[in-house]
Amino acid sequence: MKSFRPHPPWIPWLFLSPFLVFFALFASWPVARSLMLAFEQTYGPRTKAFVGLLNFQAVWHDPYFWTAVRNTLLFTGGTLLVQIPLALGLALLMNRPRLRGRAAFRLLFFSPSIIGFVFAGTLFFLLLEKRIGLLNAGLHTVFSHWDPDFPWIDHYVMTSLIIASAWLSAGFHMAYLLAALQNVSGDLLDAAAIDGAGPWRRFWHVTLPGIRPVLEVLVLLTLITGFQVFDLPFIFYNDSMGNGPNNQALTIVTYLYQTGFIAGNLGYASAIGWLLTLALIGLALAHRHLTRTEDPSR
Amino acid sequence: MPTSFAAMRRTVSSGIGIMLALAVVSSIGIALLPAHHTAGLQAWAFDAGHVDVYNLVVPSWNQRHPDHPLNVSLLLGPALQTRMMSGFYAGTPVADLLEIERMQAGPVFAGPLADIGFVDLTDRLRREGLIDGINAASFSPWTTRGHIFGLPHDVHPVMLAYRCDLVEAAGIDVSKIETWDDYFRAMRPLMRDTDGDGRVDCYPLNGTYANSTTTEVIMLQAGGTLFDDHGQPLLDSDVNVDILARLATWFGGPNRVTLDVNIASKSGLMLIHAGAVLGVIVPDFSAGSMVVLLPMLAGKYKLMPLPAWEKGGRRTSVQGGTMMGIARSTPDVDLAWAALKHLYLSPLGAERLFLDRGIVTPVKASWSNPVFDRPSAYFCGQPIGRMYLRLAPDVPLRPSSPYYSQAINRLGNIENELANLAADKNIGDPAELKPLARRLLAAAQQDLQAQINRNVFLGGRSR
Repeated sequence: MKSFRPHPPWIPWLFLSPFLVFFALFASWPVARSLMLAFEQTYGPRTKAFVGLLNFQAVWHDPYFWTAVRNTLLFTGGTLLVQIPLALGLALLMNRPRLRGRAAFRLLFFSPSIIGFVFAGTLFFLLLEKRIGLLNAGLHTVFSHWDPDFPWIDHYVMTSLIIASAWLSAGFHMAYLLAALQNVSGDLLDAAAIDGAGPWRRFWHVTLPGIRPVLEVLVLLTLITGFQVFDLPFIFYNDSMGNGPNNQALTIVTYLYQTGFIAGNLGYASAIGWLLTLALIGLALAHRHLTRTEDPSR
Repeated sequence: MPTSFAAMRRTVSSGIGIMLALAVVSSIGIALLPAHHTAGLQAWAFDAGHVDVYNLVVPSWNQRHPDHPLNVSLLLGPALQTRMMSGFYAGTPVADLLEIERMQAGPVFAGPLADIGFVDLTDRLRREGLIDGINAASFSPWTTRGHIFGLPHDVHPVMLAYRCDLVEAAGIDVSKIETWDDYFRAMRPLMRDTDGDGRVDCYPLNGTYANSTTTEVIMLQAGGTLFDDHGQPLLDSDVNVDILARLATWFGGPNRVTLDVNIASKSGLMLIHAGAVLGVIVPDFSAGSMVVLLPMLAGKYKLMPLPAWEKGGRRTSVQGGTMMGIARSTPDVDLAWAALKHLYLSPLGAERLFLDRGIVTPVKASWSNPVFDRPSAYFCGQPIGRMYLRLAPDVPLRPSSPYYSQAINRLGNIENELANLAADKNIGDPAELKPLARRLLAAAQQDLQAQINRNVFLGGRSR
C-alpha cells in the first residue's frame, strides 16, 4: 500500500493563486477604486478632483435619488408580497398527491423564468400597450365601451412592473419551495392529522416550519434582487431611459446607471452604489438577526 | 540540483505536475497570441445605413491612400458609446474616427476642454471655410464652450406628413394653414369614431408625451430652449411655460387633438397604418423610414411645413442629429481630418444618404444636386429633398450641454404630469395649467443648476 505523503503548505496557495489574482484584480481592486471614486469628481483617470463628501451630500439632497429609493422600496415590497405567496401557492398546488399533469404544470410555471427580464419586459410592454396591446384590444373587443387607449403602462407603472416580475420569477421560486415541501416529513403530517389537526393547522404548524429555511433564503434573494432591479424598468420604459412617466419607474440602479454612464458622473454614481451596498448589508444583517432570534431551535 | 529536483519530485505528484505544466503552456500560448491589428485608419459608426453610404466612398480614398486605407466598422450605439468612453477615460484603443448620436454627446463634453476625447475642430473649420459651408444650426449640438468637436452629418429639418387622400377628400386646402391652431381647426371635423363605439379613432396629430420627443420638437419650433448660449439651464422661461401648458391641452383634456403614436416604434407604425392619425411629425429620416416601413401607404401622404406656433413663426423644427469626430488618440490628426472630410463632404455620399435614408446633407455645396428635386412617388410626386432643404436654414439652434439628456428627461416628466392633469381634471384652457408648469419647470431648473454647480470641471464650485 502506498504511503500517504503530505503536501507542503504552499501547494494549496499555489492552486488558489489564479483565483486570488483574478479576484484581487477584477473584484477587490474595482471595489476599492469605486470607494475612492465616491470621494472624487472625475473625467477619466487622468482628470480628477477630490471633492470630499460632496457626492454623498449631493445624493442626500437629490430628489431624484429619493424618488428612486421610494420606487425601489415599492418594487421590492410589492414583489415580496406577490411573488413569495404566489410561488408558495403554486408549490402547494404542485405538491398535491393526486394532481394530474404535474410535469406539464411544472414546465408551464417554470418556463417564464428561463427567458429573463429583457424578454419579459418586452412581452409585458406589448401586452399592455395602448390600442394595439393584447389586453386593451381584447377588452375592447369583449366590452365595446372599454377605452382602447387605456394607459396601463402610464397609470399603473409599479403594478405593471411587479406583475411582470412575479410572472417571471414565481415559477423559479416555486421550484425551490416544491423541493422543500417534498422534504417535509410525511410522518409528521400524518401524526398531526391523527391528532385532529385540520389542513390549515397542519400547514401552519408542520409544513411552514419545515420549509422555513428555504423561505428565508427566498425572501433574502427577493429583497436583494428587488433592490438591484434595473433591466425590467429599463426595457419597459426604454423611451425615457427607464424613468417611466414622471419618474415612477426610476430605481436606484437605473439612477446609478444614468448618472454614471449617461451623464458620465462616475463619482456620483459610485456614491449611489456605496449607499446601496450599505443598505443591502444592513438588510442582510437585519434579516439574519430576525431569522436567528425568531428561531429558538438554532 | 539533482537533490532539489528529487525533493520537488517527491512533493509534487505527477497529477499536480501535469496541471502545472498545462497552466504554464496555456498562459504562454495566450500571451503569445497576436494582437488583432487592422492597418490604416479606423472609423466606427452606429448605423448600418450610414456605413453602407460610407462604404461607397471608401474605395476612392483607399485608391488615393494605399498606405492608409480606411476601414469603417459598424458598432451598435451602446457598444460604441461604452468603447468610446473607455477610450477617452482610460486610454483603451478606439478608432481614429467616431460617429455619435446627439444624446451620446453629454458625457463626452462633461470634462475640461483640454481633456475632451475629440480633437477640437474649430480652427480647421474656420480656416477651410467649412463654418460657412455647412448649415450653421447643425454645428450647435457638437459645440461646447465655443469649441466645435465634430463634423455634422445632417440637418434633420422637421415637416408634417398628412393623409392627403382623406384631407383633400374633405376639401381642406393645406396651403391656407399657417398655424397649429389653423391646422387643428381644419382637421377637427375629421376626428371620428370609425367603429361606432363612441370613441375617437382618428386624431389630427401624433403626439408622444410618454417621452419628450414631441415636446422637444415643438418647444424648439416655438422658440423655447433648455440652455442658453453659455450652457446655463433656461428651463423655467416664460416661453417654455407657455409652450408646455399649451401642449398639455393637445395631449389631454377636452381639447385633445393628438394620439400617442411613436413613429419610431412598431406599434406606432401599426397605428399610422391603421389611419389612427391624420398628421405625423416627421424629420427627414422619418420620411425616409415611412417609404421603407409603410410602403402600403404610398400615394396617401404628402408633406407640408410644420404649422407655425404663432402667425409668421418658424415652419420647421429639428429632431436628432449625428456627428463624426476625430479621437485625440489618433496618431495623425491631419490624415484623420482628410478622411473625415472624405466621408462627410462627399457629393456621392450626400446623394446616396438622401436616396437610401431620406436624410438631407448639411453641406451647402451639395444642395444644388438635382437628386433633391426628384419627385417622390411615395409622397405624391413632391420633391421632398428640396422641401426639406428649403427649411434647413430655419432649423433652430440647440445650445449644447453635458446635461442635455437630463434636461430633456425633466421636460418629458413635466409634460407628462401636465397632460395627465389636463386629462384627469378635464382642463382645456392652457392658462389653468401655467402655474403648475411654472412651478415644475422652476424646480427642474433649480435641480439642474445644482448639478451643474457641482461639476468642478465646468467651473462649478466644490461645496
